[in-house]
Amino acid sequence: MLERHKQVIKQICDLIGGDLDDSSCRDVLEHLNNCPTCKVYYDTIKKTVFLCKENDCPEELSDEAEERLMRVLNLEEIYKKTKSG
Amino acid sequence: MDEKKLIEKAKEGNKAALAQLVQKYSDRIYNLALRILRNHEDAEDILQETFLTVIEKLHTFDGRSSFFTWIYRIATNASLMKLRKKKVVFQQLNDNPDFQDSVESRVFIDWSQDPSITIYDQEVKKKIDEAINKLPDIYRSVFILRDIEGLSIKETSDIMSITEENVKIRLRRARQFLRDYLSDYFEERIGQENA
Repeated sequence: MLERHKQVIKQICDLIGGDLDDSSCRDVLEHLNNCPTCKVYYDTIKKTVFLCKENDCPEELSDEAEERLMRVLNLEEIYKKTKSG
Repeated sequence: MDEKKLIEKAKEGNKAALAQLVQKYSDRIYNLALRILRNHEDAEDILQETFLTVIEKLHTFDGRSSFFTWIYRIATNASLMKLRKKKVVFQQLNDNPDFQDSVESRVFIDWSQDPSITIYDQEVKKKIDEAINKLPDIYRSVFILRDIEGLSIKETSDIMSITEENVKIRLRRARQFLRDYLSDYFEERIGQENA
């Protein structure tokens, strides 16, 4: 693989996260427009991150788990008072 | 009451203020631990351990970092420690920027435009979970903080107590590992569809 590909592949990660400065960003985008190999790498990395993000479902802590937490922290009484309004 | 006041009151021993802080962060800490540990029981253990540490060390919190960064650092360290204890063997780590990435050995096939690849496909979901489960711990924590939780490179570096450059290196390896793992499956799947 050419040195330029290797360098761009390293920068693609920063590009995806918006962590690349303007000038490097322009260079990488220009390379991507002219290099099908790096473009595929960029698209598949981007899709990978997208899929992982989409697949992530944050969970709400159950009431039971919250009660256990407050008990362990010795905050049970104050917690019950807050809950009962 | 704003967070700064809550922290001051909690430092003075005000239990109501402490309970409010716990309630404010418990869902986020639980989910962070769940994402790193991939196990509900372990995530609940970490949740409790994190807040016990917060109570014990709150007097040392000086506000130089944000309370969020401070508590996330405690939770991330506790989660990683638990993973290490469970696995017994520590994973090899190489943050050397000159470390040879394996990317050059692969031929890239573009599966990104395939409309059948969505998380609504149970098999795809399973593969994504598998890939994240197989991701080495040190890369997984950075990937979760930066890409899943959406924190900045700076915040991730503060939480992990590593340089921003090392965050970028680990993030690149994490994304590449996940991409390669999913590519193996998607390329085979596309091949079968076209056969």
